[in-house]
Amino acid sequence: MAVKFASDDWAKQFKDEVNKSNAYKAAAKGWKWTVGLVVEAEPDKNFPESRGVVMDLYDGEARDIKVGAVADAQKCDFVITAPYSRWKQVSTKELDATKGMLQGKLKLKGDLPTIVRYTKASQEMTECTTRVPVEWPDEG
Amino acid sequence: MHDPGAGRMARRRVEGAASEAGLVEYASKVPSAFAGMLGGLIEANVRANPAKKKDFDALTARVGIWVTDIDEGVTLVFDRGRLTVYNGLEPRRTITIRAEAETVMSLSNLKIGLFGMPVYYNEVGRGVALKLMRGKLRIDGLVMNVATLNRVTRVFSVQ
Repeated sequence: MAVKFASDDWAKQFKDEVNKSNAYKAAAKGWKWTVGLVVEAEPDKNFPESRGVVMDLYDGEARDIKVGAVADAQKCDFVITAPYSRWKQVSTKELDATKGMLQGKLKLKGDLPTIVRYTKASQEMTECTTRVPVEWPDEG
Repeated sequence: MHDPGAGRMARRRVEGAASEAGLVEYASKVPSAFAGMLGGLIEANVRANPAKKKDFDALTARVGIWVTDIDEGVTLVFDRGRLTVYNGLEPRRTITIRAEAETVMSLSNLKIGLFGMPVYYNEVGRGVALKLMRGKLRIDGLVMNVATLNRVTRVFSVQ
């Protein structure tokens, strides 16, 4: 069943998808940092307030994924920031996350060598987001 | 684009200023996201690893990297312990690497093995070698500059 983007239900389904993924489990072995996603508001797209997603990821497992305040996401070890419509492009496979980062469409804060070392894990994580059926606020 | 304000991450500055220890500078007032990422990555590597610092200090080369699927590139001008990052491809390059974004990331994940040689027999290395053979990774200047390429790979690699 489709869930509202960046809602608690979305976070739960996203976490389930991550934990179902053997590819992620293998690629993220040794990962021990938190990741924050900042989804910037776009009122004209019916996404009026910025939201933060805090992901507690450890050694190939998503221990917790929560939607909350932007400030909480910004406290994570790695923070990826983009407007709502960019995240939608990533989640619908319209934009590859790696390319998006190289182009500055997704802004990354955190230790670069670490994130580069785990490129495959981040790609698989992106794949997991695409498997969550989403109700987009600017559609329907 | 990576954020230069992040705690442990290598910093970058704009307007031609060098970073704190004078390792990396950006030729453009507004470095592209890709330029910022590569400069930041190399600086972080060099600061964290004395062997990479030794390579960095010995390296003199003009290396172009063109990412074919985003139509963006940079030129890395290494000059014995200093790096200047240019947006786009500059003339008189020693080596030019052309590949898709994913392959460029794979290059930075090449393991360094015995005698400082990149490892091409593990999964990442095989992938890179295969792309080279299939023409999906093009390295102009490779034949004449193998030693330089290996040194650049060592500085660039996060492994």
